[in-house]
Amino acid sequence: MTEQLRTEIAPDPGRHGGPVVSGGTRGATIEVTSLTKHFGDVVAVDDLSFSVQPGRVTGFLGPNGSGKTTTLRCLLGLVTPTSGSATIDGRRYHDIHTPARVVGAALEATGFHPGRSARNHLRVLARAGGIDERRAEETLELVGLSDSVNRAVGGFSLGMRQRLQLAAALLGDPGVLVLDEPANGLDPEGIAWLRAFLRYLASEGRTVLVSSHMLSEVEQTVDDIVIIARGKFIRACPLAELTDHGQRLIVRTPHAEALTAALLGVAPDVHVVVQDDGSLLIDNVEAPTVGRAALESHAELHELRPATSDLEEVFLSLTGGAQS
Amino acid sequence: MSVQTAPASPTTSSTAHRRRLVSAEILKITTTKMWLGMLIGVVLYIGIGVVATIFAPTQPGVDVPTLETADGMRNLFANGGGGYVFAIVIGALGMTQELRHQTLTSMLLAEPRRNRVMVAKMGAYGLVGAFYGLVGIVFGYLLALALLPLKTHADLPTTAMWQIAGGAILGCALFAVLGVAVGTLVRNQIGAILGILVWVLLIEQLVVVFLPKVGKWLPGGALGGVLQATGFNGTTYLPVWGGSLVLIGYAVVFGMLAAATTQRRDVT
Repeated sequence: MTEQLRTEIAPDPGRHGGPVVSGGTRGATIEVTSLTKHFGDVVAVDDLSFSVQPGRVTGFLGPNGSGKTTTLRCLLGLVTPTSGSATIDGRRYHDIHTPARVVGAALEATGFHPGRSARNHLRVLARAGGIDERRAEETLELVGLSDSVNRAVGGFSLGMRQRLQLAAALLGDPGVLVLDEPANGLDPEGIAWLRAFLRYLASEGRTVLVSSHMLSEVEQTVDDIVIIARGKFIRACPLAELTDHGQRLIVRTPHAEALTAALLGVAPDVHVVVQDDGSLLIDNVEAPTVGRAALESHAELHELRPATSDLEEVFLSLTGGAQS
Repeated sequence: MSVQTAPASPTTSSTAHRRRLVSAEILKITTTKMWLGMLIGVVLYIGIGVVATIFAPTQPGVDVPTLETADGMRNLFANGGGGYVFAIVIGALGMTQELRHQTLTSMLLAEPRRNRVMVAKMGAYGLVGAFYGLVGIVFGYLLALALLPLKTHADLPTTAMWQIAGGAILGCALFAVLGVAVGTLVRNQIGAILGILVWVLLIEQLVVVFLPKVGKWLPGGALGGVLQATGFNGTTYLPVWGGSLVLIGYAVVFGMLAAATTQRRDVT
């Protein structure tokens, strides 16, 4: 796995009517190039390269401990890479003047003093980042925390902390958002809200990079995905491409043998696997062909559906491959 | 209030930028209650010191200058500098709780130039230390002046009192800076605070008493010189200027060490 893979995720102007740049908000390309980070003997990130485009939500996916957070921390100048680079609009984080206006980051649901109010937490960050302190109230309203402005963060639920982190990331109205596991701790309603919010931010032309260890958590949100496992690059592509590897059907029938024989008669290159639950997993075939074979062989069909919708399975097979 | 609406241009003076960072650190301090708790500590600690100095009976074998002597009178007012214990503790707490609650991470996102963040932090805590020094002196002096007539009517060492006040403010400021530096180097909150308390209240006191030639060069001993104190059995400290230079030296060396270790450390 030392070969260096590099995938450009081209913007797809057709999908959302093209990137809309509004109110001085301008996304920038995130470029990770041959990034490597060792912690002692542990290789946390291994020769990783990918890029992230503006105007799209990009899911940065991998199992826990796969190096996502380390990669993001390298990008944000918190961790010094062993080699390689991670840049935003061609610049290292250190070299960006008033970075809070360019990049908004939310890392994990910690980073609060429990005794400080949400508003004061944001005022401190605004003041340090050279941002108008009135943005504290504005961003709290944006993330739906206007009722908890003066409450101490120590009493916040995990979901509220996630929202506060997001508010902190939005303080400088940045064109690039880097969010580490923002869906952690959110209830289904919160996840739906986050999904719409991230889509909205991307529709304004911002670059939105969201990490997650669960594809299902972000599959309705992201346009593109970058998958890593064990610190190594696995795949980068538009989400739609991930599922696009030929027709695959699941068939349930009490007459499996008859159906299989009939299928092989009409389409010799089909591949049939009997799964643990007794259903058949059939590759390289269209649904009408299976239906016709069933009619001809008098096999009774209880179920006939495409198997391609299970993204999580694809994800697991991709990331699991790096474990061996 | 440093409200800035226009995007800062690269030519924005770095002075304004540094001031902004110090101001953010001060805001951090004033938006939690720790500083107030420590201030109460300053007042109590100094109160006990003043009362003990005035009313404590003399013990056989321990030669403490009495209030009838100029040395004794200066010792009484030197109690006003007792805020230094709380100054170094709040400095260490301020740094270690940033590491503990990982709030340092968001600070470094707002300002990735770590030296600036460290210098701002030391500056802000230096100001807090100076404030503790000032409050301590005002309270300590008022209490001493109120209680002194019960014991003696000796003349007040007015000039020395002004000098001691200045020394207390400087000393507390430098101890707070030292606290930030120690907190940065030790990192663990409990370890840093315990270490500081054991050092300041026990080890250093013992060295000053039993090895005065070494003790006067330690931070606490140097502060004794700055505060014009006279130790047991006539132990003398460094002169005011010498003690000040030694204290400044400690603050600068430890501050630079702390900044240097922060420079490339991975924040995880």
